[in-house]
Order: sequence, then structure tokens, then C-alpha cells
Amino acid sequence: MPISQLENLHPSLWRASQLARGVGEYLHCGHASLAAELPGGGWPMGHLTEILIQQAGSAELQLLAPALHQLSDNSHANKPSGLPHGRIVLLQTPYQPQVLALDGLGIDLARLLWLRCKSSQDALWAAEQILKNGSCSALIFWQNHIKTESLRRLHLAAQTGRGLFCLIRAWESQLSASPAPLRLKIGRTQSGLQIEVIKRRGAQQAVPILLPHSALSPQFSLPTFVPETLPTTSPTDHEQFSSTNRARRTNAFMDSTAFATAHVGSI
Amino acid sequence: MPLWIALHLPRLTLEVFKIPRLALANPPVCDADQDRPLVVCDGARVCAMTESASAAGVAVDMRRNSVPLLCADAIIAQRDRPREQQTLWQVALVLLQYSPHVCLNQEFSAIVMVEVAASLRLFGGLRLLCRRIKADLTTLGLTATFGIASNASAASLLTQKNLANTARNTLRKNNRQLQLCLRQQNLARHLDRIALSHLPSASTWLTWLAGIGCQTLGEIRQLPRAGLQRRCGNAMLQALDIAYGERAELHQWLNVPNEFTGRYELPDRLDKAESIFHFCRILLLQLCGWLCKQQLAAQKITFHFEHERGRQAIPATPLELQLANATWHEEHLARLLKERLGHLPLAAAVIAVRLHVAEVVAMQAASDSLFPEPGGNAESQSKLLELLVARLGAENVLQAAPHADHRPEVANQWISAVAPRSKAEAPPFHATRPTWLLVPAKPLSVRQHRPYHGSPLKLLSSAERIEAGWWQGQLVTRDYFIAECSKNIRYWIYRERIGQAQQGEEDALWYLHGVFG
Repeated sequence: MPISQLENLHPSLWRASQLARGVGEYLHCGHASLAAELPGGGWPMGHLTEILIQQAGSAELQLLAPALHQLSDNSHANKPSGLPHGRIVLLQTPYQPQVLALDGLGIDLARLLWLRCKSSQDALWAAEQILKNGSCSALIFWQNHIKTESLRRLHLAAQTGRGLFCLIRAWESQLSASPAPLRLKIGRTQSGLQIEVIKRRGAQQAVPILLPHSALSPQFSLPTFVPETLPTTSPTDHEQFSSTNRARRTNAFMDSTAFATAHVGSI
Repeated sequence: MPLWIALHLPRLTLEVFKIPRLALANPPVCDADQDRPLVVCDGARVCAMTESASAAGVAVDMRRNSVPLLCADAIIAQRDRPREQQTLWQVALVLLQYSPHVCLNQEFSAIVMVEVAASLRLFGGLRLLCRRIKADLTTLGLTATFGIASNASAASLLTQKNLANTARNTLRKNNRQLQLCLRQQNLARHLDRIALSHLPSASTWLTWLAGIGCQTLGEIRQLPRAGLQRRCGNAMLQALDIAYGERAELHQWLNVPNEFTGRYELPDRLDKAESIFHFCRILLLQLCGWLCKQQLAAQKITFHFEHERGRQAIPATPLELQLANATWHEEHLARLLKERLGHLPLAAAVIAVRLHVAEVVAMQAASDSLFPEPGGNAESQSKLLELLVARLGAENVLQAAPHADHRPEVANQWISAVAPRSKAEAPPFHATRPTWLLVPAKPLSVRQHRPYHGSPLKLLSSAERIEAGWWQGQLVTRDYFIAECSKNIRYWIYRERIGQAQQGEEDALWYLHGVFG
């Protein structure tokens, strides 16, 4: 057999220069530039995926929003090869999740489950129970300090089901070993979200991907709410009145930072 | 073809006095008592003893008074027949989980028989079923030998054969606890080797038969039948015919009461949840057997932990398990109980556990689909919720219940996931809202006329004014801004408007209320 065809021997073989070809199930990540860098073109289902982030809560839900939206979509459930349609669990979130924003991200609120834990031991237990039960379609778990044994345990538990399992950790844990087949490091920049693939099945990533704000965040691309009738303000509060007037005039401005900085002094 | 499993409890007389050996790292009860030799007397004669007592020279039929001479530290107990009967009854109840056809052997006192031919497929085959039964018996603190054959008498006799083996060869006693004979044509070969002393109806003629050289069942069957009938009567021959499968057998099936009440007296005063859990499981196993026999499923069960009556009587601590889906499976109940017990505050040490079934519904068999559903079925989802609620508490397992209000902290309502919910969709709302909300809002300091959070915040948007809540006396007047820090993380901050006029200070006016993520 010629050497050029060796990778055709088995689906789980790949060359060092290639990305692994998907054997399991993958959930499309919603961004073409990111999909090109991920094996299988998206998030692996039934595996541990680690997302390392500078500050918990700052970008991860925007990144996962397209995937969670697909999981929430009821029309998939009827297909024979449909996605799992269980609950979407947020475990040990850094802050209180905001229902309206999650709705804006396209997540079905009826499926949402938010778990608060008093101790990290409880959280690990809950994560393992959820994964073993297998009836939840996604589990997003915020936990900074986690032992490698626990990670391995969770990864094994995740493999029994076929849901999406993302563990959100801090940048500091980048150097510690992990059984996760996919690890991403994300950070915010001026122009958008920078994604670095630390570990994947395939060649190492050359340049980090940059997702611009426009591609990323439905909550920012929406026009800002402008009240039709202004709240009545007292005549003495003249400065406030003028600032709301300005709010009425301007619309899509989120990324025009030059405009915003010009305003800072006057507010 | 029927298939019978007979369980012989050879050490029952001793084991009713022993505490079930706990599967724990540190048993709560002092282990010294477990290791002391135990001798059980029936009247003035010894009827059973542990290996350590036997090694000291104590033998069956020895006089009670001679035991302390041989073995000074032995515990001598009087045989407790009611308790033995009760334990047998408990074993029978537990076995009802696996088949409704359970009966107690009338002739041998320590044998329970169960007919399992119809249950084999459900429990994954004979070996798995035996393993489950063995695990249940270990929980009850009993040892058993298994005999498996196509009729009940033969199965009972096979357990006896096993006993003979263990007596002869104590080293291998744990290796061969299972005697099985699945083929009808091999049955006679297996039974022929069993000693005659194990057949109860032959006990009267034992010395005479030994005198004419009959030691086993095989040898007695070679004697002329007519002569045997004339000398020994019909009973022994009938028993032999039944065992060899040549005559049908009548059984008296076990009947259970209509109400289930279980009570278990703990061997000691226990206050550790994990050790109490072990004894609760014994009750749960019986409950599941009872439920299976009655074709019922439990909706609500209550445990009562009874405390010692000291100077003041302490009322029993109740623990209620309310189930979303009625169940009759021991695993789910035990898991729920374990989590709940871990959080139960006990006023004093527990001396007994009582189990009461508050609500039952008719058992509904699970409908299995040909293609398994991808997200698991509704039953497994509700099981998961129950389990999470049991450990984390209902107030920490939350579902979204958005409320139509302009104030973000009021709009963002989360209610317990077990509570009924009126509607799940968010009110139509098109303003920019952050993914995370800080409750309560965090006051920000001001540096160089800018709000400061780690770094000076740069405002990206103009104000969104929210003025609401005056009808509830909780007026909020705020201007919300989107701000960005030097790490490019976006925050949702607000400025109090009325507070400005009152305080005249610029410091406490800015608040961090949300994070975009």
C-alpha cells in the first residue's frame, strides 16, 4: 500500500499534519473559522472539553451560544439521528445567570437548570451524577481547582453519555496535565475574542483564531433599547435629560470605541 | 421447565445474634464483640457455635455448664427461635423482589426456596441473579449456600450436599457455595451421592438403614420398593419420589400482609449517618420485595429514627422521601436515602429504625422503545432531579422563571426546579442585557472621574434609563451603561440618580451590576 493512503486504513488514524477525523459525534461550533481548527468541526459530544479563560464569566457563554442554541432547538429532536434533548445544566456559575440574556442567546429556558453548590466536593459529585445519568444534553461546569484524578473521573463519566460537557477553568491551569481531548484558551482583545487551541487531536495550531465582535455576540449586535417615550425627568436634572436624548440619537455604536471614549468625559 | 433456587442458611442460629458486618471502613460497633466466640444453647445443650469456639473444643450436644471450662471468654446465648423465624421471613420478603413464587421449606427450618424460571431474562441470567441475591443476603448479614435444581426438594437437598462438603473441607468452603444441576437427566446422579441423614423423613430409620449399609439416597433407591414401603411407611418413599422429580409437589406460597411496616432494632446506639444507612437498606430491601409482590410502587415513604428514652422522651426523627415518579427499585431509593441521611440532623443516637409507606400507586412497567431516546427518558431526568435535590437542597437546584419587569434583579427570577412553573418563555424584550448578574450590585469606586473596577472603566454606550418599582415602594432610578475594562471585559454598570442629589458624593454612586460573557 502506498504511504499516501495509510490514513485510509482506519477512521481513527491521522497524519501529524492533519486534524483528527471525527469518529464520534460533534456539535457544530457555529463559526467557520473556528470549525476549521477543531477536529470534527465542532465541540466533541461525550467528551470532556476544557475552556481556559482569563476571568470566569467573561466570554465562554458567547462562544458556546451557537452550540447551546442547536441543543435547544426542538426540531432536531424528532430526527432519528437527532441531538439529545435533555436539560442544559449550568453548574457552579461565577455569578447569577441572567434569564433574558440567555434567552437572547437562543437557549430554551424551559431546559435550563442552574445548580448552586456549597462546596466543590458537592459540585464534583453533581457533575458526575449528571454525566452518569446521561439525560442532560449539556453540562457547563465552572471549577478552577480540580485534581487530575477528578478530571479523569469526570472524563470517564462523560464518555458514558453523549452530551456536551465543558469545563471552564482559569488560564493558570494551562500548564497542568488534563485528559481532555480538546483544550482551548480564550481571551478578550480590543476587536473580539482570541481563541488558542492548546490541545487537540491533530497538529498544533499555528496562529490563534480571532472571532470579531460582529460574528460573535448576538446580544451586542441588537440595537440598543431606546424608550419611545422618555421617562419624565425633573427640570433641574438637565444633564441627565441631555444624555438620554443622546441615547435616542445613537443606535448601533457598540464597537465604535472612538465614539464612546469621546463621551466619557461628558457623562 | 421450572427452576428452583433454594437458600440454606446454615449459620442462622448464630447469625441472629451477630451484627451484620458493615461494609464500612470503620465499623461503629466495637469489633471486639464480633471476634469473641459465640455459643448458642438450646435448653441445657449446645446447639451451635462459631469456629473459634469449636477450635477451643466446644461441640454440639455438650452441656451448657461445660462451655466456660473449655472457652472462658465465650458468649453463651439462649437460642432465639422467634427471631430466627423473623429473619427467615425477612429473607423471604427480600426474595420476593426476584419472583412472586417464594416459599419456606416446611421440613427444614432454615431453607427458603424461590422459583425463578420466569425471572431469569429480566435479571440477566442465573449467575447474575445469584450474585444479586448473595449481595442482598450480605446486607442482611447472613451467609447462605445455594442449591439450584428443577424442583424444590432437589434444590433443598443440593444445599445440604454442599453443607457436607464444607464440613469435610473447611478450606474450600467459600469456593463452592453454589450447587447447580440444570439438566433433568443429571439430577439423579447428583442426588444419589447425598447422605441419607439429610432427608428429614428418613430420620427415624437412620440407624437401621445404616445397619444394612445404606448411607446415601442412591443406595436406598436400590432397595426393593415394596419391602421398604412395608417396613418404613410411605412418607420416605414419597419424599424421594418428589426429589427425583417423579411426583408433583405442592407448595404453600408466601403471603404478605396488605400493609407494610418494617422495624429494625439497631445493635447499638448509632449516630453516624453511614452506619444507620446500612440498616435502613435492610428495611428498603424488604420494602421492595413487598412492593413487587403486591404490584405496587412507592410514592412516599417515611423513615422514623427512634431515640433512646432518657430522662425526657425524645420524639422519633422523621425522614420523608417523596418521589416524583413512583418506584419499586431499591437502588434509586437507597441513593436518595443516602444523600438525605447525610444532611439529617439527629437529636440523639438512634436505637431503632421504622419504615412506613405513606403512599403507594399501582406499579407501571417501564415502556422500552426499540430505539433508545437520545436524551434519556423523562423518568431518568426526574430521577436525576430528585437525586440532586436530595443532596444540594431544593433551593439550589433552580429553573428559570422570568418575570416581566424593568428592574433586572426582579426580572431575573429563578425558582426551585421541583416547583411547578407557570410559563417558561421570557417576556419579549429587546434591550442589551448581560449574561451574568451580580446580586447584590457591587459599589464601584471612582478614580479620576471614572468608575474603577480593577482598571478604569471606559463607557461604551450611552445611558439606558430604568425607573421602576415605585408602585411597590422600591423605587429604582438608574442609568445603565456598558463599560469595558483594560482587559477588554465588558461590564454592565449603573449610576444611581436620586442618590446623587441626597448624598452629594460621587463615590458610592456607581455600581457594577452585570458582566457580559
